[in-house]
Amino acid sequence: MTAADENLGEMLARRGFGRRGLLKFAIAMTSSLALPPGMAVAMADNLAAAKRQSVIWLSFQECTGCLETLLRTDSPTIAALIFDFISLDYQEALMAAAGGAAERTLRQAVAANRGKYLLAIDGSVPLADGGVYSLTGGKSNVSMLQEFAPDAAAILAIGTCAAYGGIPKAHPNPTGAVGVEDVITDKPIVNIPGCPPIPDVLSGVLVHFVSFGRLPALDDRKRPLAYFGTTIHDQCYRKPFYDQGKFAKSFDDEGARQGWCLFELGCKGPTTHNACASLKWNDNTSFPIESGHGCLGCSEPDFWDQEGGFYTSLAGGTGPGWRDAGIAAATGIVLGSAAAISARRNAPKGTTET
Amino acid sequence: MNVISPPPAQQAPPPADVSRALRGFIADVGPTVALSLESCVHCGQCAEACQFYVQTGDPRYTPIHKIELFKQTYNRELGPFAFAYKFFGLAPALTTETLTEWQDLVYDSCNMCGRCSLICPMGIDIADLVEQTRHGMYQAGLAPQDFLGAIAEKERATGSPFGLTSEKFRDLLHEIGAAHGVEMHVDEPKAEIVPTVSSIDVKTYPGSMAAIAKILNHLGQPWSFRTDGFDADNASLTAGDRAGQDAVTQGIVAAAISCGAKTLVMPECGHSFTEMRWEAANAYGKDLPFRVLHITELMAENIQSGKIRVTKVKQTATYHDACQVSRRGGATAAPRVILAALGVDLHELEDAGDANWCCGGGGGVALIKRAQPLRDAAFAIKKKQIEASGAPIVYTSCSGCRQTLDHGGKASGWTTTVGSLLELVADNLAS
Amino acid sequence: MTLLSFARGPGMQVASLIFIAGMFWRLFGIFLLRRRVAHAAARHPFPIRLLGGAVTIFTRTIPRRTFWPRVGAGVALSYVFHVGLFIILFGGAPHILIIHEIFGLSWPGLPRGVIVIASGITLAALILLLVRRLTHPVLRLLSKPDDYISWAIVFLPVATGILLSGETIASYGTLLALHILSIEALMIWLPFGKLMHVSLVFAGRFVLGYNFSRKGAAT
Repeated sequence: MTAADENLGEMLARRGFGRRGLLKFAIAMTSSLALPPGMAVAMADNLAAAKRQSVIWLSFQECTGCLETLLRTDSPTIAALIFDFISLDYQEALMAAAGGAAERTLRQAVAANRGKYLLAIDGSVPLADGGVYSLTGGKSNVSMLQEFAPDAAAILAIGTCAAYGGIPKAHPNPTGAVGVEDVITDKPIVNIPGCPPIPDVLSGVLVHFVSFGRLPALDDRKRPLAYFGTTIHDQCYRKPFYDQGKFAKSFDDEGARQGWCLFELGCKGPTTHNACASLKWNDNTSFPIESGHGCLGCSEPDFWDQEGGFYTSLAGGTGPGWRDAGIAAATGIVLGSAAAISARRNAPKGTTET
Repeated sequence: MNVISPPPAQQAPPPADVSRALRGFIADVGPTVALSLESCVHCGQCAEACQFYVQTGDPRYTPIHKIELFKQTYNRELGPFAFAYKFFGLAPALTTETLTEWQDLVYDSCNMCGRCSLICPMGIDIADLVEQTRHGMYQAGLAPQDFLGAIAEKERATGSPFGLTSEKFRDLLHEIGAAHGVEMHVDEPKAEIVPTVSSIDVKTYPGSMAAIAKILNHLGQPWSFRTDGFDADNASLTAGDRAGQDAVTQGIVAAAISCGAKTLVMPECGHSFTEMRWEAANAYGKDLPFRVLHITELMAENIQSGKIRVTKVKQTATYHDACQVSRRGGATAAPRVILAALGVDLHELEDAGDANWCCGGGGGVALIKRAQPLRDAAFAIKKKQIEASGAPIVYTSCSGCRQTLDHGGKASGWTTTVGSLLELVADNLAS
Repeated sequence: MTLLSFARGPGMQVASLIFIAGMFWRLFGIFLLRRRVAHAAARHPFPIRLLGGAVTIFTRTIPRRTFWPRVGAGVALSYVFHVGLFIILFGGAPHILIIHEIFGLSWPGLPRGVIVIASGITLAALILLLVRRLTHPVLRLLSKPDDYISWAIVFLPVATGILLSGETIASYGTLLALHILSIEALMIWLPFGKLMHVSLVFAGRFVLGYNFSRKGAAT
């Protein structure tokens, strides 16, 4: 039996990981995916029988942060093993081939897995000026996306840039950056936003797809409900302080040091859907709020352009400046004066006015 | 709840003149009136202060509702958003029907007593707004002819509501002087004090003129009636005739100036005091060269300084404040000074002084025949209060109130005596 | 652009500018009308008249005792609403935060439970006030569309605020957007309807107090 014919169960057994371990993993994943516990056995069986899933990863207008995050697992966890098992047939940062060899690899992978590969995208798709602002081998991102999306089983838009446009889309968006869903409208898309996204989310989506042959339940923004169904605020350990009205007023004041709620320092937790507050980062070590900084809302569209910036609370926004307020006042004075003058002209001069 | 139904339509009066009403409404609007017209929040408290609403339960008598046509006209013609009101039809334009419909609200059911102005949480002087509204209504020909409108016209034509000429008044004064054994001064070329009279006194209480003469003689300063400016009644004011109002006022001012008066004394009357004390200078265009005092103020001031000396009377009495003199005019304290000096055992009415209830006859309502049921309803409050005070006499210092209390008392068969404070003092001067 | 980002951005700007322009428009339109100089000799000198005007702003908050039997209940209900709203606006942490963001002023907020109770009472008072307006004969006669629009435009922020605070019925983002939008609607409407009484009440009481002090009359 060659490695190519091997299924996951056999591969894991080769590395000393038996059915028991796979079942434990499946139980953990069904919980993570918010699936009924009874499905764990089916997942374990399906995983054991699964063949390597082809994943073709195209990086567009990105910072490579998403890839780096997904690789940052300290120890080879079972999630990391799964990642290894999935056939990452094309990924420009990780693969050894370069130049023409890389391009040939891409074409071969597509040909061999036509209709079956998962197309993973990170980075936004620039559209301005014919897409010239991000090219791979002279080909624009948008043309590559349009070329390779039709033969994919589904598209994974990894990171906020791929999902919604992300940083490049921030005003004034000089490259005309958009998310994948704005270019491809006739393929199943899973958005896995976050700047960067939590690694577990990608693992969960892949496991689900590999186990059951379909994508997990998505919300109205095409995000996996299991991970994006609640807001940071809903799961935040500082919520009791929010409820008690204990807010840090400035960074490093007494309240901040006591770990009070960061709402007044601009935390966007209440309007941000992600699993940071429960899954956390770096193997459940911490997340921004726990480290004392408010949530930036990085898994929501247009989070860079939100009114008032990161440090204006949700209660506030961008009002008119004092200059514009002055202009409005002056306008009102002019209109009121005009009305009064017109009234004075209109009224016959009475004997006395009170 | 006793709802007084609106009065029957008069026989074929000319249709209300809309354009004249409009001009009348918008002629005198300055920032204070405008602020008042902008401020109403429809809280309904003014109704609870108004004798006509309180006694009848008819919401049409809500004070701020009475001026609705004035307010809507202001919104359409003079307000900051006038163009929008007109363009989008946000306020109805005046029609003869609505003007006529509002006639009894603006005249029959308002004494301009000012209780509503006292209660309004927004600080709207509603009583003043009613007076302003009457300017437009008068121009439209809607001052009730029977008989406020007719009297105002007579006043405009002759200078006196009952057509009393200067000559007739001079003769009358001398007659009264002779009848009461009082020295009369009439048309002196020089006088420091010039008293005026109310036509109600002329008609019904002529003794008051003798009383004034007695007191002014006692005071000892040069004084004189002036037959070229004597009738302070100013029915034009209550009818809403701006020009007539000014004419009467200017006549009195001119008469006082012509003899070099230092003090103009207003008679026992309400609106005449308001007009001469607080409006005359504006009609004149500059500060008046003389003081204006209500007769009670003159008496109180001089009693306090010792220039008028009175003897004590053994009486238990109560006092009815004339709205225009006390609440509207700021002279609430004077009658009490006088009554205390006379040693009267004063049983004050409930809400006496600034918050008192109007007798129901003020503001021209006594001159509107068909408003009798409304006056009766308002009088019922006073009757109850006066009887509750336990005093057999009620003094007042306004002939309008005196007459209203007299009529109301007779009609209801009470045993209370209505007296004039002026005459009480005149009858008890120390020699 | 989401509803929330519209509310926190362009919505807030437009509403604020209309609010400011409208306030100045209406006030200047009133105060620049032709005024006359009062010539009648005042009973009190100018400083006393000013004081009379200022004091009347406060004394008119409570009706005279003589009126209590007839207006007491209605006035009390209105105060329950107004005081409740005051507590919410100036005691609630998110509102203090907005004031701080605009003006730099800040003070300690009231406990959340107090605000919750105040909000419920305020809402109840608002509803009772509407019932009163719809059933009292005087108020039925007086009331115009302005009264009902103004009621609704005050009701919505209170109601959406309660829902937002309870984080119930819809997502936080949606509730927050609706709350902010309802306040923007209120700001746009305020200068043009009876809600302008937030400024006119001070002007009107002062002017009446000043003018009546001139006459030495009761204010």
